[in-house]
Amino acid sequence: MKVEFWGQEFKVNMVVGCIGGFLIAIMSSMFGFGGGPFMVPLMTVALRLPMYLVVGSSLLAIFFNTSVSSMRHYQFGNFDLIFFLAMFPAAILGGYIAPQIAKRVSPLVVKRIACVGLVVLALNLLGVY
Amino acid sequence: MEKRVGIVPWFFAAMVMLFGVNTAVGAEPNAQTAGQPATMAAPTITLDKTEINNGGTIKVSGQAPAGKPVYLEVYADERDVRANRFDADPDKDTGKRPYIFYLTGEMPAYYKIFVPKTMKPVLEEEKKLGNKWSYSKLLKDLGADVAYSAPAKINIERYQSTLMASVIGSRGDLLPAMDEKQTRSRSMQLVKARFRSIGNVFAPEVDIKPDGSYTAELKIRDGIAPGKYKIVAVVDKTAKSEAMTFENKIAFPIMYLPNAGTSMNLIYPFFLTLAVAIFGVLMGAGGGFIMNPLLLALFPALPHTVVAGTVTPTVLFSQGSGIFNYSKINFISWKLGCGIGCAMLLGGFIGPKLTEMITLAQFKFAFGWILLVLAALMLWQTTPGYLAKNKKEQSILKEFKKRAEESAKGKK
Repeated sequence: MKVEFWGQEFKVNMVVGCIGGFLIAIMSSMFGFGGGPFMVPLMTVALRLPMYLVVGSSLLAIFFNTSVSSMRHYQFGNFDLIFFLAMFPAAILGGYIAPQIAKRVSPLVVKRIACVGLVVLALNLLGVY
Repeated sequence: MEKRVGIVPWFFAAMVMLFGVNTAVGAEPNAQTAGQPATMAAPTITLDKTEINNGGTIKVSGQAPAGKPVYLEVYADERDVRANRFDADPDKDTGKRPYIFYLTGEMPAYYKIFVPKTMKPVLEEEKKLGNKWSYSKLLKDLGADVAYSAPAKINIERYQSTLMASVIGSRGDLLPAMDEKQTRSRSMQLVKARFRSIGNVFAPEVDIKPDGSYTAELKIRDGIAPGKYKIVAVVDKTAKSEAMTFENKIAFPIMYLPNAGTSMNLIYPFFLTLAVAIFGVLMGAGGGFIMNPLLLALFPALPHTVVAGTVTPTVLFSQGSGIFNYSKINFISWKLGCGIGCAMLLGGFIGPKLTEMITLAQFKFAFGWILLVLAALMLWQTTPGYLAKNKKEQSILKEFKKRAEESAKGKK
């Protein structure tokens, strides 16, 4: 498939994109996260698309996934309104506060902290400690 | 005529019961036992209080026939929760996997049987099995199956799952209802699926004296449903005390989450989400994959299905506003986004059903590996080679974004 974006044309291998997207969607909806951290590498590395095309488009693709999986989770009775109401305002508030801090911290440091945090969480889930 | 015969054993029963037990007089004779000769007197039961605040300790005492074990069955009377279990274990005789999905919405939000203190070794032994412990086997080993009654008659739906049904994201065909005996044994598996650990469903707390009098300090854990609870003292199938009621009260900010079946202090998830959301934005990713494992690790009482199902919609808003901001400056390729989005749509349709079918242990195992992969991805993104490439990409990104913003302004 050919995609035009700001005067440039990109060839996109939709078979790889769709299969990858499908698998990521199953995984992320199953475990209840967005899927962005997987989608961006998929589109930049496997599909060889430039970052500036990926940032917006991957968000759009993920939005499809998140809205449908929210609906399905609701349908299966996995959605708890009160719990949601406790988390939702905090998520929005966080979205407003973060850009203020963003200028002062290096993304590299954040990523390294995240890296350590993720390993710790993973080992916790795997029952290592 | 029959009624008259029935009175005699009841008279006997009343005689056996010790005097001096102040309140609660033994069980009322019900229709079933009245006709048969009663072999045992019903135990008596008294509580030291009828109200607890988000958990607490209740002292129970009473009198039972000497030399008999006493079980205290405690259950939430008002609040029910969902419990489900996917049966894919090979059949003992045929070796076939049944793939049947059991689901109920009537499991008491709290269910626990307190057994005599002397049975502690039996529980300890079973705890060594880890996740593989069996609720029905424990009931039998402890002799507590006589006390198992509240969840035994819940309405359980069962579905025959097939691969095809899973692909289209349905639960499968609804199978005919089960008979009483089947329901009872399946309900035991659901009790385990719902409450998970042995400590949640059994506790060796009943202290029995040689003369048959018993005392117990029931520690009711916090984070359980508010409302009325019932306690029944059981010695035998026919010898049960009347049900005593106590109430669990909770106050804001502790609230009951009806779908999760637990109550919790809502301030914790609020600040947790705030921290994770800020961190997520700084990292350039949604916080969902940090939020979920954190919630699971910090609040083990929450079922994983509810965690996954409730965290998902919280990121919807930030995604939506992100898309809106990008679309204002025409920075989205709708064709590419929708193309891959359609494939993701299908995946998102199937995923939530799979969440329901796996156990917490499987959920944790798979999620653990996903996080390790993610950590590896993150680490790769901090390597010098990637950074150099990324710097170039980011500057192009900024350049294009600037152009896009300018042209968007120009249109106005």
